[in-house]
Amino acid sequence: MYFAGVDIGSTMTKVVLMDKSGNLLTTVKGPTGPEHRQLANEVMRQALEQASLQIDDISCIVATGYGRLNVPFADRQITELSCHARGVSSLFPNVRTAIDIGGQDAKCMKIDNGRLITFVMNDKCAAGTGRFLEMAATTLDIGLEDMGDISLKAIKKIQISNLCTIFAQQEVVALLSRGEKLDNILAGLHDALASRIAALARRLGIEPDLVITGGVAKNRGMVRAMRESLGCEIFVPEEPLLTGALGAAILAKEIYTKAVARGETLPAKSRQLEKATFFSSEHQ
Amino acid sequence: MSWFMGIDIGSAYSKGVIIKDQELVVSHIVISGANYRKSADAIRAELIKKVNLTQNDIVNTVATGFGADNVYFASRKASDIVCTARGVNNVFPQARTVIDVACQSTRVIRLSGEGKVVNFTVSEKCAGGSGRFVEVIANVLRINLSDFGPLAARSKTPITFNTGCAVFGESEAITRVSEGVPKEDIAAGVNKALANKISSLVKKLKLEEPCAICGGGALNIALVKTIESELNTTILVPAQPQFMTALGAAIIAITSAASE
Repeated sequence: MYFAGVDIGSTMTKVVLMDKSGNLLTTVKGPTGPEHRQLANEVMRQALEQASLQIDDISCIVATGYGRLNVPFADRQITELSCHARGVSSLFPNVRTAIDIGGQDAKCMKIDNGRLITFVMNDKCAAGTGRFLEMAATTLDIGLEDMGDISLKAIKKIQISNLCTIFAQQEVVALLSRGEKLDNILAGLHDALASRIAALARRLGIEPDLVITGGVAKNRGMVRAMRESLGCEIFVPEEPLLTGALGAAILAKEIYTKAVARGETLPAKSRQLEKATFFSSEHQ
Repeated sequence: MSWFMGIDIGSAYSKGVIIKDQELVVSHIVISGANYRKSADAIRAELIKKVNLTQNDIVNTVATGFGADNVYFASRKASDIVCTARGVNNVFPQARTVIDVACQSTRVIRLSGEGKVVNFTVSEKCAGGSGRFVEVIANVLRINLSDFGPLAARSKTPITFNTGCAVFGESEAITRVSEGVPKEDIAAGVNKALANKISSLVKKLKLEEPCAICGGGALNIALVKTIESELNTTILVPAQPQFMTALGAAIIAITSAASE
């Protein structure tokens, strides 16, 4: 008996395969794919291959994330908020506040005993998401994965006065031409993003333990900036990208176990790894 | 002869005018660039050259805008809100509401019957609510800014953007292009999104008619039409919308020279 969680984010697709005891068999992260974003099935295929399983060996598959609505091989779709809450709680049982910072949104969740109580999110403005740093990395021509570490070398933080991502890029160019140092500028950029996200989280009220997930949590400079902005200890999972898929796999196991306990079986469907498309059919 | 000059150093473009008897005689616009002082000099040199004057013929100069401090030859600075109000009032004395669609923000100004500023509001510095959104998408569509309005005007089925953010909007436009959506529908979609933001700013201040529009955004005629239908009103568009603030500065130069 095996279970799968598939998290189709705007940039990355994540798959977690789990056995009936809840042990992780394999995890795969891959790009969701540009423009047409049809590579979700490819990531799933890789995960199955690594675990030497067939798609029909999986008892229940839960899809989550931005692209969850049209995953042909999934049994259920569950919002990323519920999946994140569940995934984070499995790693940090005392978590009360979770902040997920992705490439195109930021979500703050209040969690009690593994259940999502309430949340706030920003998907309206790039300035409060990982996109802010992505754009800065492009402007500064540095790797996204390097910018956090460079920011940690800063002696001072240069305050970025523009909130808007686009105008902040202009400001960064102006700062460079004025001779400001890259690490100091980066520290300012991290600080700007951290304080925006902290403001979002404060709307919810922050209670410890606080966990940060999402791709941005891999950035050490960002974790430090968040710690400073929020003024409290922050926990980061080893694999901050995977909590959504992990939660989805745990929920898949629960759904299956409950169905079996009721004497039901999940509709056995012959699954095919069709291409998962990003938009539902009405857009095509 | 009494010639007066107004210089408006914006974040993207610097504008200048020379007026005579409250009438706009000549105007000039340059990209602000990194050195505002140089831009101010360039504008002055070009303006006086165009009307065959010398620097000494200009009785007084007033500076305004984001970089007004750099206009070292101006006798004083004036607030851009007041200058915009003055400039538009000069062209359209009947206007009670002025919308200024600039590159970094949009401003809405309410005027009294005498053309005085009663109230105003400025949008957040958000690219999605300013002319910058148009620039970003024009770049995606690989069209000139001046072609944007006419192109958008041809659309019968504008797309609806899922976002008000110019950064997310850029990605969305790229996706739509790859899906084969016609350029004009994307351009019209941008105007729709922008008009929506601008209209809610106007409504926040309460629209009093007649309404006039200025700033670079006013050159995008399809945008003006979209705002008109959102607000259900007819909007007055000056012949040189980008120069209204500089014109206002020049008019203030007359009164400030008289009072000295």
